[in-house]
Amino acid sequence: MRSIPKHTLSKSAVKAWRISIAVVLLIIFMIPVALGMIDVFWGDESNLSPWLIGALALVILIGGILAIFLIPEIRWQRWHYQIDEHEIDLQSGIFIITRTLIPLKRVQHVDTRQGPILRSFDLADVTISTAATTHRIPALDQDTADHVRNQISKFARLAKEDV
Amino acid sequence: MSELQRQHPAAALAKSFDIIRQNIITVLVILFIGGGGEQSSFTLYWLGGSFLFLLIWGIASWYRFRFRVEEGELTIEHGVIIKKKLYLTSDRIQVIDISAGVVQRLFGLVAVEVKTAGSTSKQAKINAISRQRAEELKRLLRSKENLSTEVGETNKTDEKIYALEKQDLLVAATTSGQLGVALSVVGGAFSQLDQIVSEEQMIRFVENNIPRATSLTVILATIIVALVVSWGFSFLSTIIKYYDFEVVVRNDELLISRGLFERTQLTIPFDRIQAVQIKEELLRQPFGYASLVIESAGYGEKEGNSATLFPIIHKHKMFEFIDEVIPEYHVQVKDRAGISRLGLRRYLLRMLWITLPAIALGWAFVPYGVFAWVLLVPALVLGYQQWRDAEVASAENTLVMTSRLLSKTTAIIKKYRMQATRITQNPFQSRLDLCNLTVYVASGNQGRSFTVRELTEQHAFDYRDWLAGDSNSQKDSTDTDFKP
Repeated sequence: MRSIPKHTLSKSAVKAWRISIAVVLLIIFMIPVALGMIDVFWGDESNLSPWLIGALALVILIGGILAIFLIPEIRWQRWHYQIDEHEIDLQSGIFIITRTLIPLKRVQHVDTRQGPILRSFDLADVTISTAATTHRIPALDQDTADHVRNQISKFARLAKEDV
Repeated sequence: MSELQRQHPAAALAKSFDIIRQNIITVLVILFIGGGGEQSSFTLYWLGGSFLFLLIWGIASWYRFRFRVEEGELTIEHGVIIKKKLYLTSDRIQVIDISAGVVQRLFGLVAVEVKTAGSTSKQAKINAISRQRAEELKRLLRSKENLSTEVGETNKTDEKIYALEKQDLLVAATTSGQLGVALSVVGGAFSQLDQIVSEEQMIRFVENNIPRATSLTVILATIIVALVVSWGFSFLSTIIKYYDFEVVVRNDELLISRGLFERTQLTIPFDRIQAVQIKEELLRQPFGYASLVIESAGYGEKEGNSATLFPIIHKHKMFEFIDEVIPEYHVQVKDRAGISRLGLRRYLLRMLWITLPAIALGWAFVPYGVFAWVLLVPALVLGYQQWRDAEVASAENTLVMTSRLLSKTTAIIKKYRMQATRITQNPFQSRLDLCNLTVYVASGNQGRSFTVRELTEQHAFDYRDWLAGDSNSQKDSTDTDFKP
């Protein structure tokens, strides 16, 4: 797509995303583990195929490793954003590229938020809400995030005075 | 009205019915899942018990609910366990709706709903009082002259009323597009049938009535019966829903009322309208009929988001209607961008991918499933039609987006109502320089989006930039402002 927005996310976003994917994966991995336990302890009643459980575990493992290595990297490369007096321009996506444009006049409020993983990397998400939609610029350095939030809020106020 | 008073005792009933209606899906699920088998009598007790409980609850809440009006202030005391007091001053009240549901009509009563901006209106609903008292209440609450609460018969001179004619209602019901919904209801009912009638009985019934029934005729007959019954359902539900449909145009708002057993009233101020949709349903389009839907921004009410402005209208009367009711949405489009030949390919392919699994399933599991291949023809025709209809057009400050899934939908969006735009492109599209354009408008508590697929990148970005506003041209010079 043409004219990609200027700014990229913080480079440590990739690491943070890897960890959060790993956490999710760990939870999903509990499924074959639990099935395996059932097989070991109540094997005679449940007649689950151990091969099937093993295959499931393998698929999750391989898929998970690929996801951990590829998805955060691609996602980071896709993500671009740009903010000026009139609009917020976002590009995101992994396979499907999405370009979102939000006129600053329409911005109702901006938040920054960070979960435990983002906090450990000193990152924060910026969330932008309009009357219809909510958008997120994920994983910015904390200072940048604060700056972006203030900038949007300032521009939004100016834009509304115009109307 | 200055001392605290209770509602008519029928309010207890109305309240219990309200609770049942709000949880109708739960009730149905319990009925269907719990019904049948040895537990059926248990389910019956259970249902009877909960109904009794609801009734007691209704009576208790009727007993605890008291209201009064004093000096233009409505005070409501309510709450069975926790006592709550609600004070509404008349200058905050935006709308006073008087309606009558089934219970209210049985007793010749009305319900009064008082709405203020913002807060949800559930508490401020007086479920059952006589019409006379309701009128008095309305008069008292609007006695102070305030401009924003003009609801009622005051401005009768400026009012224009558009009613749905009986034969149009019949046409609407006959061609109702709710077939799918009705089909699933009928399907659900069919699946319960074997609990009442055993399979043997059914087979015997079929054998007796259709002597040389082959399995093909049985399948065809089942399909036809299901279709006819569903059609009957959607016919009836449309009649019930849109009976006596009426749009009243006032100075600054629209008042829509409809319903056979239960009159529903909806007030939409003009300045809340976010977009207008013209829907040409598959069954109605050949006869030149369409329906109009408006999207309006949040109104403290759940269903305030998307309202039928007119359930059925002939196309040549439609623009006249739009002209008179919502004139700013009658636009002459100047620029239009259709979808290129390359896009046609993707529209057809998409229909192919959607139908193929269905065909494969039918082929594999349904007797005479080979004929499922016939589905491909209407699917591809639909894909072609989708491509022909898809279009983005613009007028002075209005965007018109046309697309079709089954029904053709034309969305008319004011430029200044746009909340955000989104362009998406998958790898297959990026090879062809095509992309999808989505425009969001506010509607209810969430937004609503309109999408046109397979526009050329050039068109999509042009429209996006055009929508983004007037001062957009010097974009490049100003964006140096921001340095992270």
